[in-house]
Amino acid sequence: MNLAKIVIKNMRQRALATWLTGASVMLGVALAVAILLIKQGVQQRFEQGTLGYEMVVGAKGSPLQLVLNVVYNLDISPGNISWKLFEQLRNDKRVKLAVPFSVGDNYHGFRIVGTTDAFFKDFEFEPGRKPELAAGRIFNFNETALRAAFQEAAERANEREAKERGEEVKPAPESPSTPKERPFEAVVGSTTAQETGLAVGQTFIAAHGVQPSAEAKEHTENPWTVVGILRPTHTAVDRAIYINLDSFYHIEGHELRGPTAPEKPEEKDNDPDPGQVSSIVLKLRSPITAFGLYRELNDREDAMAAFPAAEIRKLFDIVGNIDRLLLAQAVLILVVAGVAIAVSIYNSMSERRREIAILRALGARRGTIFSIVLLEAVTICLFGAAAGLAGGHLVVALANGALYRASGFVIPAFHIQPLEWYVLGIAVILGALAGLGPAVGAYRTDVAKNLAPTS
Amino acid sequence: MSDVGNKAILQLRNLRKSYPSSEGTPLEVIRLRQFQLGAGEQTALVGQSGSGKSTLLNLIAGILLPDEGEILVNGTNPTQLSEAARDRFRAANIGYVFQSFNLLQGFTALENVLLGQMFGSGNGGPGRAVQLLKNVGLEHRLHHKPRALSVGEQQRVAIARALVNAPPLVLADEPTGSLDSKNGAAVLELLRRICADGKHTLLLVTHDPQVMGKFEKVVRLEDLQ
Repeated sequence: MNLAKIVIKNMRQRALATWLTGASVMLGVALAVAILLIKQGVQQRFEQGTLGYEMVVGAKGSPLQLVLNVVYNLDISPGNISWKLFEQLRNDKRVKLAVPFSVGDNYHGFRIVGTTDAFFKDFEFEPGRKPELAAGRIFNFNETALRAAFQEAAERANEREAKERGEEVKPAPESPSTPKERPFEAVVGSTTAQETGLAVGQTFIAAHGVQPSAEAKEHTENPWTVVGILRPTHTAVDRAIYINLDSFYHIEGHELRGPTAPEKPEEKDNDPDPGQVSSIVLKLRSPITAFGLYRELNDREDAMAAFPAAEIRKLFDIVGNIDRLLLAQAVLILVVAGVAIAVSIYNSMSERRREIAILRALGARRGTIFSIVLLEAVTICLFGAAAGLAGGHLVVALANGALYRASGFVIPAFHIQPLEWYVLGIAVILGALAGLGPAVGAYRTDVAKNLAPTS
Repeated sequence: MSDVGNKAILQLRNLRKSYPSSEGTPLEVIRLRQFQLGAGEQTALVGQSGSGKSTLLNLIAGILLPDEGEILVNGTNPTQLSEAARDRFRAANIGYVFQSFNLLQGFTALENVLLGQMFGSGNGGPGRAVQLLKNVGLEHRLHHKPRALSVGEQQRVAIARALVNAPPLVLADEPTGSLDSKNGAAVLELLRRICADGKHTLLLVTHDPQVMGKFEKVVRLEDLQ
């Protein structure tokens, strides 16, 4: 016989109260742990996701929307920017790498991103990590082909203008790269491949829009062939389908319309914009020049720049307040649980006083009695907290499904965080505080009075 | 039994104990000049209801402290000890049997006896507890909780618990008071026999003439004043 056995016996003797009070502690701890794990995991994943994206450039609008759209394949694109700007940035001495992206379609909810092969060859989504192939090959983007597409578009625009002026139009010679001949090739992210079953050699048809919709028009005229599957990156790359930027412009609704004729002939641009992209991701040669470029881009009327890391920090500063509210709620539940434990033990004190008096008569010291009552409260809290920790992880594991569908990444649900040891420590302190009052009452029990026959 | 009474196991001198009363003047419940019990002696202490018999046992056990006087148990004055030391001393030197058994309801018969051992010397380990329960005829009831035992069996568990630390002094407060006459006689016989076998000094409080009749030495509390 020892103190632990006495404590366990006492708890079993009042099993219902023990379970109920333990469950309330479990609830509070599970909630707190789930909030902390999800917040920490999401923040970590989001911050990790920005590592390869030093600066993003897109249409004027919300910088956060631009970042969410480019880096995480979330939200809708704020608009388009000119290909000329892309070329300008690519040739800028401060820029190490510029990768264009065009979005606007999906396949079963997975975003289709038009880009160049620089995305696979030069882009590091995390420092030192480029997208790697698990199977197949990357598509062969040919800037000459893109230029031919721009040229074609320009010629079509000229034809339109000539027709509008009533001039006779000679049909343009057949392009060596008519849409049907162009390689409509795609490289598929690992999750997309897993979820849709797309494999190398298979074809698919894109649907218009970045979100799946029953009303969305399917681009049945141009099926894409999967030529490669990427290895998992644990970023938004996994949930995308990458296609040739030149093939992107052959999707109905995304066709290049060529330079628009100015309303006044004297305003005609000698170097018109041949096409547009949704966004550009930049790698910079030096962080020193980054702010200069950032200011220049944001001074423009047709584009803006954003630092993804800074935008995500801002986002979590806002979300952090909600976290704190939820945590405060969890702490309140824990406090209520602590009070419930104290009340439960207090309520049992009338029957316990006799037991305490018996133990004292048998030679138990006041300190021993104090310890038994305190240990009981601490044990209930500790077991409740341990169950709560397990429950919190389980909640995260269950929430991972929804999180994955929304963002493309999952939080390691069963990875123990150092913070959790603090939660256990807090549970011990809470138990000790809850048990303190009843323990003092037990300590002061009048032995002689409570030993007297009760009949 | 040749050494019975040779060594004083319990000595009480000029003992006084009062309780505060609602009128303001303390209510004296114990005034005792001198009392002594030798090793292995078995004595019945009798007195009217409310005469302070249970209070006297609590004073001897060190559960209550006297206002005045000296208590020596096995040569030690427990009132001179710190409270914690007094608790340890009680566990090792005094076995207590109560009228209402005072078993812990959540614990089995064996566990109740082991509890007594836990706060005492612990000598003999669980084997001694089992042996004592066998001695009181409960070898088949070791793992039964008090509610599953008859009142006679419960009191026998209490006797085993009181003796588990082999205390030189056993105090019994109306141990047959909650039992019918048949069970009472059997329990009393058992208590006396076990105390005699273990050479434990027994001081038994009662107001039952039948119980008194079983003792060679009967002391009236009034006579000690």
